[in-house]
Amino acid sequence: MKTRALGFVALAAVIAAAIYGLFVVPADLNQGDAQRIMYVHVASAWLAYASFGVTALAGIGYLWRRDLRFDAVALAGAEVGVMFTAFAIWGGMMWGKPVWGVYWQWEDPRLTTTALLLALYVGYLLLRRLPDDPARRAARAAAVDIPIVHFSVLWWRGLHQGPTIGDPSKILNPSAPLLFVAALMAMVAAFTLVWWYLMIRRYELARVEWQIEEHGRLGRITAARRAVAAATSEEPAG
Amino acid sequence: MTDVEFVIAAYAVILGGIGLYAARLARRLRIARVTSLQIRRAADAAPLAPDDRR
Repeated sequence: MKTRALGFVALAAVIAAAIYGLFVVPADLNQGDAQRIMYVHVASAWLAYASFGVTALAGIGYLWRRDLRFDAVALAGAEVGVMFTAFAIWGGMMWGKPVWGVYWQWEDPRLTTTALLLALYVGYLLLRRLPDDPARRAARAAAVDIPIVHFSVLWWRGLHQGPTIGDPSKILNPSAPLLFVAALMAMVAAFTLVWWYLMIRRYELARVEWQIEEHGRLGRITAARRAVAAATSEEPAG
Repeated sequence: MTDVEFVIAAYAVILGGIGLYAARLARRLRIARVTSLQIRRAADAAPLAPDDRR
């Protein structure tokens, strides 16, 4: 019931943030209306990082405690993270064409590493479908790849701009007008509520799927034992 | 495409995609819960094997 209420609150927050970002905040002087895409693009990108960070931490937690609840959290983070990464890439492409003149730029390190991150986690989700457990490998990969994605924009000089808000020297004096920052923060907050809701739901699904798998496994063991017991009782005495 | 069309494309795919994923997730969860309940009921109703009674 609480999760359902969270879902409704998240929905209302996204609608409010979208109305604010699309109709209340003025268009940017240089980028025009295309700048409005930044609100959903940046929010998606931040939550993709958050998801993969959670996956990496949960993967480490699973390796440490061998508790399947950590594994369910890792799965939830990976699936939700893949979705937000795909949306971040899509938003970036829709913004890039009118502002940069291109949808995609392979020379840009953050774009390329984000695409690699998406491919890595799609592979992670596919590997999870196999009987072999890939959690250790995925946790290591995530722990290495996430800092690379974030700092790539600082390490290399690409077409992608530097951080507008994440830079500590710009916290009190952001380079973007406060109205734009407020719109971005509102969308990030709304998307965080959505993210929280989706993470809870995906975690619940992982737990139920695990129970079904466990029931199936126990069912097969019980059936085998019954078959053995039946065959033994049919054998002639002596 | 104009700037506004790019904005519409971005918002439609992202917000629509999140909505679709949430709806699909709710459906998957509902089906999984029903399946889990059915399996548990079937296991409870199944007769015990001789060595299970011991």
